[in-house]
Amino acid sequence: MEVKPTGQSKAGDWKNFQRVLLPPVKDLHKLEVYEAEGGYQTFRDALSTAKWTPPAVTEEVQQSVLRGRGGAGFPCGLKWTFMPPVDENVPRFLCCNADESEPGTFKDRQLMEYNPHLVFEGILLACYAMSIKTAYIYVRGEFADWITHMEAELEKVYAKGYVGQNILGSEFSTEIVIHKGAGAYICGEESSLMDSLEGKRAYPRVKPPFPAQKGIWGYPTTINNVETLACVPLILRYGGEWFSQIGAERHPGPVLYGISGHVNRPGVYEYPTGMLITDLIEQVAGGMRNGKKLKAVVPGGSSTPILTAAMIDGVTMDAETLRDAGSMMGTGGMLIMDEDTDIVAWLRRVTHFYHHESCGQCTPCREGTGWLENIVSRIEEGEGNIRDLDLLVDLCSQMEGRTVCALADAAAWPVRYTIERFREEFEARCRPSLVPGAEVMETVE
Amino acid sequence: MAKITIDKTIFEFEGDQPSLLQFCLDREIELPHFCYHPAMSAPANCRQCLVEIGNPERDRETGQIMVDEEGNEVIRFFPKLMTSCSENISDGLVVRTQRSSDLVRRAQKDNLEFLLINHPLDCPICDQAGHCPLQNQAYKYGPEGSRFEFRKVSKPKHIRLGPRVVLDAERCINCTRCTRFTSEISKSHQLTIVERSVKNYPMTPPGIEFDEPYSMNVIDICPVGALTSEDFRFKARVWEMSSTPSITTTNAKGSNCYYWVKDNRVLKITPRTNMNVNEFWLADDDRLDYERFNDDRPPGPTVDGEASSWEDGYARAAHILGNVDGNRIAFLGSAHASVEDNYLLARLAEKLGTAAPMYIEHVEVGSGDDWLRTDDRAPNASGCARLGFTVADADLFGPRLKGGEIDVLYVLEDDPVSTGLCTSDDLHGVSVILHHYNESNQTLPLATVSLPAATVVETVGTFVNIDGHAQRVRPAKAIRGVNRTLAMEIGRSRADQHGTPFDRWYNEENLINCQPGWVSVPGVANALGLDMPTTNPKAIMAELASTNSAFEGATYSAMGEYGIRLSEIGETV
Ligand SMILES: Cc1cc2nc3c(=O)[nH]c(=O)nc-3n(C[C@H](O)[C@H](O)[C@H](O)COP(=O)(O)O)c2cc1C
Ligand code: SF4
Ligand code: SF4
Ligand code: FES
Repeated sequence: MEVKPTGQSKAGDWKNFQRVLLPPVKDLHKLEVYEAEGGYQTFRDALSTAKWTPPAVTEEVQQSVLRGRGGAGFPCGLKWTFMPPVDENVPRFLCCNADESEPGTFKDRQLMEYNPHLVFEGILLACYAMSIKTAYIYVRGEFADWITHMEAELEKVYAKGYVGQNILGSEFSTEIVIHKGAGAYICGEESSLMDSLEGKRAYPRVKPPFPAQKGIWGYPTTINNVETLACVPLILRYGGEWFSQIGAERHPGPVLYGISGHVNRPGVYEYPTGMLITDLIEQVAGGMRNGKKLKAVVPGGSSTPILTAAMIDGVTMDAETLRDAGSMMGTGGMLIMDEDTDIVAWLRRVTHFYHHESCGQCTPCREGTGWLENIVSRIEEGEGNIRDLDLLVDLCSQMEGRTVCALADAAAWPVRYTIERFREEFEARCRPSLVPGAEVMETVE
Repeated sequence: MAKITIDKTIFEFEGDQPSLLQFCLDREIELPHFCYHPAMSAPANCRQCLVEIGNPERDRETGQIMVDEEGNEVIRFFPKLMTSCSENISDGLVVRTQRSSDLVRRAQKDNLEFLLINHPLDCPICDQAGHCPLQNQAYKYGPEGSRFEFRKVSKPKHIRLGPRVVLDAERCINCTRCTRFTSEISKSHQLTIVERSVKNYPMTPPGIEFDEPYSMNVIDICPVGALTSEDFRFKARVWEMSSTPSITTTNAKGSNCYYWVKDNRVLKITPRTNMNVNEFWLADDDRLDYERFNDDRPPGPTVDGEASSWEDGYARAAHILGNVDGNRIAFLGSAHASVEDNYLLARLAEKLGTAAPMYIEHVEVGSGDDWLRTDDRAPNASGCARLGFTVADADLFGPRLKGGEIDVLYVLEDDPVSTGLCTSDDLHGVSVILHHYNESNQTLPLATVSLPAATVVETVGTFVNIDGHAQRVRPAKAIRGVNRTLAMEIGRSRADQHGTPFDRWYNEENLINCQPGWVSVPGVANALGLDMPTTNPKAIMAELASTNSAFEGATYSAMGEYGIRLSEIGETV
């Protein structure tokens, strides 16, 4: 795939960027501190100011060009408009997707730990905008500590009257329920998340109907990622206009980059979108560990196509640029690999993950993910054949776009693009191939 | 009228339509599929029914359908293939199936390759082989070989999910038809899928047995041989049996079924779809109620407890009946026997100047449910009632016998002793003429004359179910006596006409020496010198259909394969 080297960072003066999602305030997770910093004021304003009707809130979010941070990058405000008109007899739900399980992704839990009230406030505003009376936070089951932590803070929010019936004396009522997930990556896929929440086995549903038509318990539902919702109070506080000016034009806003791998300072960093990948590695994450050379970058969680060191030149972290560069923004969880990385071993680990996590519902995903792992493992063990590489790519084509949910694509892309972009390494690992004719002829003689 | 185009053929339609897959199937356009079942939700999980779907492109401004230079509509196809089972039909839709699209053919082949990589391919020992959707569709649409070079997954085998259903998890293709049956149809919720990815398979929740009264339906709807019947496992290959469309007679619902016969023995009973009676389903007790057709059958007629010929049996019965006053005879019709047999019995009673026959009610309160099992455990009480028979009352019947009011008791295909209508003592001094199915009939030891009767799988006849649905039965196995009507009917109703090479239904050993009521009742009448106008069941129903309003219209041709709903007797009789 052609790389379009724009060369330019779209993050502006990112070195002086003031963090807003995870501002450097001590004990911000405590309600008192959050309020002292102006927290919940936006929500109060929304309830009490005539200007902030529910449609006006949605409109502002649309203005901001906020795109979902859960992986697909779908425009948030637009998604909210898919909810059907309010009918008092039909319940409607919001679900905050805190199932964070894509390998390489660890940003939502930072928000839950350090700034849970921003998430709560975002949920309240979203509920207000869509006239929703029940919001669930579906938290990955393994995040037991964060669940206890958030439950304690939620207690305080209830006590303070920000959640519950007739909030702050207004007409508006809403409840927030923290739901402990049932432990599988697939529970993060929005439609299986709803099944899981209903107490069923987490099987993704066929779409349409979409959640806004038929969601939790069959009622209209909107599902947003933790970070997406955390952006909402900021948008209302500083304006959609302000938000849309941060970072890349078509994919704006502050974003949490989760950088892991062979860098000196791995971690979660908040900067505008549109940062140069090279800036993130060299300047933000302190450069490559032990002065090694960069080999590859997986920009947005393990399912996004891998980029070689040569491909990231001038590439910025936003949906459009990454797409043109041959990958995706995903969750912004960046895996940085140095020259010593065994790419075949890496791919084996990734195929193992998706094989293990396929819900097993669709034939191509259930059977394909296992087969991919079988073949990649064999190659890693030095037992593979060159033709296995073509078979792998073939199997990817047999899986992509033919399943109920996107897990099959997520499993196929790493295989397809890692082989495409690091083919020599795979070939070097395979058993020497028989040159057609030659060796066979000899033995015959 | 709205139209859709499938492989260049245009179909018109009006009003609500089922899914695209069902629409095609209804028009005999085959689309391979596994998870879809017309009675259940469509999870679209097998991914086999993929097709190309497109819509006519419309001009953004005018909304007009765009046409190319040749005047053909410009069709915009979805970039992805779509599962036809989850696709709704809309006006103008254009569909390409495997019949016209390489893409679709390729995708269907790819999917079958995936389905087979972990499938054990143990068809040679699998009960499903021969009528297996996976086997058939793999042959038809699948790849020629497999590129899979690894160990297949191993999963639990021979798991008893419940008393009647056995699971081989390795054969399962995870279509979830079985779990959906328990959650959407029977609502027992006794099955769920456990484990993830290739390891998954259906299982009961901890501590629960899959023992609901309809559990065996999952065996038929399983598109592979993963679910088998504990009762039938390994008994016969499908091609060794003949199947005959008929109805079950375990209760008064008259569920439609197939009788599967090998060597002239019924080996299993499976449902036959009839949307007016049992839809797609059959209760477990209906399915397992077949041994009485094979075993416990009488060797032949008896007179005074000694084996006799049919002629001697008829003669002795005639002798008994001819020598008593008509009003000292009691006739018992039967809710187990066909309308035709009961009708002839009524004619015999009439000719002898005896009151109309009564019949024994077989109601076991609480044994039924509000679905396919009725409290009434006999198939034709409605038919008896429509013939004007009344229910025999045990409180009156026994005392009448005991009190010496009756000299002869004539019983058609029933058992007054075991049903408690009377005791053996009550029958002391009474001559009993008995048509019976089984040796274990408790009235048999007291019978002066016994005439073995053909069961529902050996006869031709009509039964009226609890809802007034009149349905025909057809012979699924042959009897010893040569009977032209039965022989022709076997030829007509069984797909294989005269038995498969493996099913020797003419097997002498398993031919029962019995006669349908419409042969043996006239046999007695003729021996009496009485004139029975017709002994042909088809003609009997033709006569009833035109003369008796309770059976109005119930001719054999009108009843056909699926029966007809008779008018309520309350209204007309
Ligand atoms: C296999 C799979 C796993 C997913 N896991 C997550 C997850 O852990 N967290 C998340 O926010 N979104 C996840 N998603 C994306 C969600 O389906 C959904 O698009 C997202 O929650 C929508 O939120 P957003 O619009 O705010 O991004 C996953 C998607 C797929 C296909
Ligand atoms: S694509 Fe995979 S994970 Fe998604 S529904 Fe199908 S089998 Fe389940
Ligand atoms: S056992 Fe049969 S019906 Fe049940 S999921 Fe497996 S293949 Fe489908
Ligand atoms: S029949 Fe359509 S996906 Fe299974």
